[in-house]
Amino acid sequence: MAGGGGGGNGEPEFQIAPMIDVLLVLLIFFMSITSAQVLRVDKGITLPVAEHGTRKDNTRAEAIINVRWEADKKKAVYTYDDKPFTDMTKLSTALAEAKKTSAKAGAKGTNPDFRVVIRGDRAGTARSVSLAMNAAAEAGIGDISISTANKE
Amino acid sequence: MKRFDPHADNEGTLGFQIAPMIDVVFVIMLFFMVMAGAVKVENELNQKLPGTVETTNSADFTDEIIINISENGEVLLNDEPMDPAGKHQMPRLTASLMRIKQGGDSAKTPVLVTVISEPEASYARVVDTLDALAYAEITNVTFTLTEEEE
Repeated sequence: MAGGGGGGNGEPEFQIAPMIDVLLVLLIFFMSITSAQVLRVDKGITLPVAEHGTRKDNTRAEAIINVRWEADKKKAVYTYDDKPFTDMTKLSTALAEAKKTSAKAGAKGTNPDFRVVIRGDRAGTARSVSLAMNAAAEAGIGDISISTANKE
Repeated sequence: MKRFDPHADNEGTLGFQIAPMIDVVFVIMLFFMVMAGAVKVENELNQKLPGTVETTNSADFTDEIIINISENGEVLLNDEPMDPAGKHQMPRLTASLMRIKQGGDSAKTPVLVTVISEPEASYARVVDTLDALAYAEITNVTFTLTEEEE
């Protein structure tokens, strides 16, 4: 960027170049915090609110199960890796496979512990989420995280 | 602010105009500033599923705290009614859990909590309870459902 300088007679004057520098830095700051925190979640799911939850750890290897609640049918729809699952045994097999692949690849992040993140709809029932937990347990994964939003 | 004037340059070449660029940068910055205030952040509530571990060392048995969540949203802490259904915040449960946590810390024993929910209880209510546990900094939490009658 261009440098600035004072006036010839020693009086300070408005410099446009440093102002643009500051503006661009501010712009980059707000762009980064806005895009980094965008909620990447199934549009059909409204996450329950929990203000005191910890910030999501994105460094760990994980499998994300979306639990969408169909209110008219009173039924939960499970999706993992963009594929719908109606049979929990198949979901469990897919999770076990993901865990095995993650162990071979050394995990995508720095922390090798594999976990399951459950993104459940707030309108759903405890049973709908419990079934996803059971599938994780059958796949031999005991580390479960429940996904929530920080505000309404 | 200075505006672009096509007749300003006698030679017909368009020079770089700083004023409209600043206008645009200001607008973009305002947009991102407003968006930054409204952005939702994803949080998580962690828990470990119970498992079987073979060990040769003796394990310390501690008092287990049981929280029941009924279908109508009522929450019981060791069979004692806590906050009624309908409110997202649970001040009474949170205060009780914080007392239990402080007691556990001073006695140097870990606090183990099992959340037992009825199958048709609201998932949002379960998360409210887990949120209260997170606020009380209780990390040894297990979630399970009540046995269904055959």
